[in-house]
Amino acid sequence: MGRRKSSTAGGLAALFILCVTSLVLFTIYVKEGEAGPLHTVQLGASEVLGPVRSAVAAAVEPFQEAGDRVESAFDNSEEEALRLKVQETQGLAGQASRLERENARLRELLKGERPFYEYGPLARVIAPVGDQFTHRIQIDVGTEDGIKPQMPVVVGENTLIGRTTEHVGRSKAEVMLVTDREFKAGVRIIPPAEFDPASGKLSPAVTAENTSYGEGLLGTNLEGYFGIEYVDLSSRAEKGDYVVTSGRAGTRQLLFPPGLFVGTVESVSSQDIDQYKKIVVEPAMNPDDIEEVRVITDWGPGLGFPG
Amino acid sequence: MEQTSVVRAALLVALAALSEAVLGPYLTFGWVSPKLTLLGIVFAVAPLRDLQAVLLGFFGGVLLDALGGGLFGVGSLSGLIAGILSARAGSVRPKGAERLLLAQVVAISVAAYDLTYLAALNLAGLAGPAFGDYAVLGLLPDALLNAVLAYLVGGWLLKIGYDRARASSWEER
Repeated sequence: MGRRKSSTAGGLAALFILCVTSLVLFTIYVKEGEAGPLHTVQLGASEVLGPVRSAVAAAVEPFQEAGDRVESAFDNSEEEALRLKVQETQGLAGQASRLERENARLRELLKGERPFYEYGPLARVIAPVGDQFTHRIQIDVGTEDGIKPQMPVVVGENTLIGRTTEHVGRSKAEVMLVTDREFKAGVRIIPPAEFDPASGKLSPAVTAENTSYGEGLLGTNLEGYFGIEYVDLSSRAEKGDYVVTSGRAGTRQLLFPPGLFVGTVESVSSQDIDQYKKIVVEPAMNPDDIEEVRVITDWGPGLGFPG
Repeated sequence: MEQTSVVRAALLVALAALSEAVLGPYLTFGWVSPKLTLLGIVFAVAPLRDLQAVLLGFFGGVLLDALGGGLFGVGSLSGLIAGILSARAGSVRPKGAERLLLAQVVAISVAAYDLTYLAALNLAGLAGPAFGDYAVLGLLPDALLNAVLAYLVGGWLLKIGYDRARASSWEER
């Protein structure tokens, strides 16, 4: 009986001390930089778990595919089947187009001609990481490949899917997807006629002085939807418009180069009492469909929207 | 004998933390995901003494923090809560209802974890969901799901923890 009492007292004392320790750990973690000891511990653990995650991803893939098939099997109406067929065909066409562009770009590189963006090597997605509050993936390139924290990550040439976090190891890096709650990017809203998502080319009309396209901050807001905030009520923004990175906020340069395609405007609304428009955006890429990505390691000075 | 059960509990907790870090992202649906580490802690430390339970809970939580990549400190605090609650619940030992009781402890621990994480997000200045939405769509279903999961696998987990520990730590209390 005496032993139990001493155990209880010891347990409560330990509980108190370890609670304080936990709070101290949390404070250190929040205050320390990306090179701090606790971040380094997480980075090391991520590196160590890399092979396990790869193995699990390979094991899970057939189940995911089977799940997709089962899901589509339940929607077996003829119309649905045709719609899926069309989607599949469009997907294949898009894939062929991407491959074609990839081929053209590699040819350019072989000729010694560089596009505006400098890319890291093609990276494969190892596995999703994080918890229910985060949308992140791990890719198989790291500092050895010239990857650093906070670099834009794209699919194809210019479809932005996220950015690298501070968790960049020698051969692995963590990518924060655009739908992550912490992700923010300065963007512009461009009419479909004046932007080609495939090439990233902007129409000269966009650069005209008297045009006032919507400009704001892209991210998942407090209401939980993925959209653009701080877009003036007077700015032009319509459903179906393209959302591309602006590369700047006022006079400040941002993390992302201008002209990266992020998604399409799904809805635009506003009420009389609102100061800004409410713009919901559909991301260009579904996170589940991402297999290979590239990190933009640098970009040329001639890029972007004119001031 | 007792030492063996503590080591076994520690291994169970470590395995649970590792599983959550690797499998968790695949099993996450919105704000709901299986909290394997908390589940492991609750069932592994139930037969142990308070001090051992608290230490093991902290150990599991720190492992979750390190392997999971979330905000450091949240897992360790939640592990502590799960550890002490489990040890206290374990000392009651209602005959035939241990599994149900521990499933309730899992639910409370998961709710505590979710609340702690939300508070930590706000304290760290990061964007978190609105409390009302999160309570209804995240916290409650998360606690329920994990409680059901705990009830389903509880029998098996209890066997691992209790078989040898019964002969030692329980009787010594």
